[in-house]
Amino acid sequence: MSTKPKSRWASSAEDAEYEARQKKEKEEKRRKKALKLQEEEEKKKALLAAATTTTSQFAETNDDNDDAASSSSRPSKRRKLTPEPASNNTSATLLRFDVGTWKPSRSVDNYDKLNDIEEGTYGWVARATELATGRVVALKRLKLEAGDPNGLPVTGLREIQILKNCRHRNVVAMEEVVVGNDVSKPDNSIFLVLEFVEHDLKSILQDMPEPFLSSEVKRLLLQLTSGVAYLHQNYILHRDLKTSNLLLSNRGLLKIADFGMARYVGDPRPKLTQLVVTLWYRAPELLLGTRTYDAAVDMWSVGCIMGELITREPLLQGSNEVDQISKVFELCGVPTEDSWPGFRRLPNARSLRLPKQSPLASGSVIRARFPNLTAAGASLLNSLLALDPEKRPSAKEMLEHEYFRQDPKPKPESLFPTFPSKAGQERRRRHEPDAPGIFQGRDKEERGAGFSLRMV
Amino acid sequence: MSSLLANPLATPSQLYRRASSATLPRDVDEAVYFATQCLTQAAGRLLQLPQSVTAQANVLLARFWLAESPMAHEFSDVSAATIYLVSKLGPLPRSPRDVSNVYAYLSSANSALFPSGELPKDDPRAYYQTEADYYAFQQRMLGLEARILQSLSFDTQVSLPHPLAITYLQTLDFLSQPRTTVSLRTIQYLNTALLSPQMLYITHQPNALATAAIYNAARDLGAKMPEHEWWEVFDVDREELGFLVVAMRSVEGWMQKLKEDFPSFGNNILKRSVVEDELHRRGLQVGNRDNTPRDEEDEVMRMMDSR
Repeated sequence: MSTKPKSRWASSAEDAEYEARQKKEKEEKRRKKALKLQEEEEKKKALLAAATTTTSQFAETNDDNDDAASSSSRPSKRRKLTPEPASNNTSATLLRFDVGTWKPSRSVDNYDKLNDIEEGTYGWVARATELATGRVVALKRLKLEAGDPNGLPVTGLREIQILKNCRHRNVVAMEEVVVGNDVSKPDNSIFLVLEFVEHDLKSILQDMPEPFLSSEVKRLLLQLTSGVAYLHQNYILHRDLKTSNLLLSNRGLLKIADFGMARYVGDPRPKLTQLVVTLWYRAPELLLGTRTYDAAVDMWSVGCIMGELITREPLLQGSNEVDQISKVFELCGVPTEDSWPGFRRLPNARSLRLPKQSPLASGSVIRARFPNLTAAGASLLNSLLALDPEKRPSAKEMLEHEYFRQDPKPKPESLFPTFPSKAGQERRRRHEPDAPGIFQGRDKEERGAGFSLRMV
Repeated sequence: MSSLLANPLATPSQLYRRASSATLPRDVDEAVYFATQCLTQAAGRLLQLPQSVTAQANVLLARFWLAESPMAHEFSDVSAATIYLVSKLGPLPRSPRDVSNVYAYLSSANSALFPSGELPKDDPRAYYQTEADYYAFQQRMLGLEARILQSLSFDTQVSLPHPLAITYLQTLDFLSQPRTTVSLRTIQYLNTALLSPQMLYITHQPNALATAAIYNAARDLGAKMPEHEWWEVFDVDREELGFLVVAMRSVEGWMQKLKEDFPSFGNNILKRSVVEDELHRRGLQVGNRDNTPRDEEDEVMRMMDSR
C-alpha cells in the first residue's frame, strides 16, 4: 500500500532519463556478450581441433623425453587460475578446496612417551609429547592381532577414517597417524595421535564428593548432544557412548572419544552388527536382537549418560543381557504393542516371557527415580529412554528441548570446577563391562531370572 | 565436510619426483599402470563389487604408485591389496579367500580377461590354488595393505565424480537428451578416465572430472550445451576443462597405440618378469632391484611348499 504512492513518483523526467540510460547500457552489454560468444565458439573449435591433434601427437611422441618432463609440469600449470582475457569482465569466483596431498605416515619416534593412561580391551593409550614442539598429546596404539587372517582390524581402520573426517569442538581431534619402525612388517604398530584431554567423565563422577549441579549437567549434556548431532548429521553412528568415553578438559569442554565401534551408515546401507554398545548403555532394540537400527541407539546411550550425570551412578547396571533387559523394563515399563509397535517381531522377543503384571505397574518409573528432576528434565529423560526407538528424539531435536532453556541455565564452560588430573599420574580405572563385539565372545552370558531370553 | 566433495591431489613436486626417479621408461610405466588398473576393474566385477568400490581401489593404487615404484611389488598383488582394503572399509567387505581366488583365476591361462577371439573353455585346474599358494598370496596382500596405508598416511577417503556428474546433469536438465543415454555416456568417460596413464583422478578434483565427462558426452551425442560458460557454475575454469576434455578423449587412441607397441602385453597378465624381459630386450638395466635373488629363493621355497 505504501508502495503505491511511490510508484507515481516514478514517472518523473529524471527517471525517464535514467531508464533510457540503463536501456542503452543493457544493449551495449548484450552486444558485448554476443561478441564474446562468437569468440568462444571459435575457441571451442580450436580446442577440439587441438584435441584431435594432440591425440595423434600423444600417440606419436610416446617415446619422447620431452613428454615426460611436460607431464610433470602440466598439473602445476593446470592448477593455476589464469583468467582468460575474454572472461575477464565476468570473472567468476570458483570454489576451491584446500585439500592438500598425501605423504607417508611419520614415525612414532617423533613423540616421547610420558606415562600410560589406560590399557583397555581395544588398545593402549599413553600421554606423550611431540619432540619438535613440546606439545602434549595422547597416543593410542591400535591393537593388532599378529597373524590375523584379515589383516589390519577393520574397527581400527574405521576409527581412523572417521576421526580424519571429523572436526567438531565436542569430538576428540586426531592430528595424525604415526607408525613404528618395522615398516615392512604387516604387524608394524600403528598409533593414533589424539589431542590430550585431562579427564574422562567416568573417573570424575567416581571421585567427586558432590554430584554435578543441574546447571553443570545441562552444559555437559548440551555439549554431548551437539557432538552426537554432528556425528549423526555426517552419517556416523558412535555405537559406544558411555561416560568413560567422554573426556572433559580443565576448561569444562566435553569431547566424545573412542570411535572403535563407530561406523559410517550411508548408502548402500551396510549390514550392521548387533554386537555393539557396552551392555549398560545398550538400547533395548539391540538387546532384543534387531537387525536394523539407527541413530536412536546412540540416543538411548545419551539417556543413560544423563541419568548417570545426575546420580553419579550408571543408570542400568545389568550383569548380563537378560538381566540388562529386565532392568530396562523395570525402569521404563514393560513394552506393549501400543508403547512399542512391532517389538514382538524382533528376534529375541519371540522367546521373551514377560512377567505378568497389572497394567498399573507396567509404566515407567523414571519420574519416581529422579524426584529432584524438573518436569522438563523428566520428560526429556523419559523420551530418550523410550523403548520404541522411533519415539526417541534425534540429537538435533534434543538441543531444542525446553529443559535447556529453563532455569537453572546451563553453566558456562569457563565456570566449571577443575579436577585433579588422573591422566597425569595414574591409570584410569575401569569398573564397567567393555563394549562387546568382534573381540569378545558373549557365550558366557547366563540366563536371568524373571523371564527368559534365548540367545541365538 | 569438504572431504565428501574433494580429494587430496598430487603436488607438482610429487609428480616431478616420480617422473625423474622413474625406474621404468615412460611407455612401459604407462603400460603397467593401464594393465593393472584394468586388472583391478576385472577383479571388481568378479568380486561383484559395485563400481563405486572398484573405482576407489583404482584411485588408491594411483596414489600409492605416485610414491612407490611399480616395480617394488608384483602388480597384481598391489591391485589385490587396494581392492581388498577398499572393500573392507566399505559396506561390502570381501574375504581374503575370495580375493585370492579371483586373482588366481585372472592370472591363470584360463582367464577370460585376455580375449583371444573366443572364451576359453573353463578349466578349474588352471586356477586351482593350494593352501600354500593361498597363504603366500594372503601374506603378500596383507603386507601390502599395511604398506599402502602407511604410505598414504591412512587417508583412504576417495571422492568419486560419478554421483556429482549425475547431479550436474540433473541441473542441466540432461541437456534435453534421453536421460539414460547421456548419463551412460558421461559415466563411460569417467570410468575410462580411471585407466588413463595421465592419472587424472589424482591430479583433478571430482567436480572438474564430472564437468569434462559431461562436456564430452554432450559433444558425442550432439547435445546442445548452454551458451554461457556453464562449467564455471560447477567451479571449473576453461583451461582445466579443456585439458580434461582432451585427456579423456585421448585414452582410446592411446590404448590402440599401446596394443600395437606391446602386442604381447595383452595376451597374458602383466607381471614384473614380463616387464624385466622387455627391459632386457631394450638393453636396459632393471633399476634399484636388490631383492631379485631373494625373490628367486622365495619362489623355490614356494614351489617346495606346494608339493
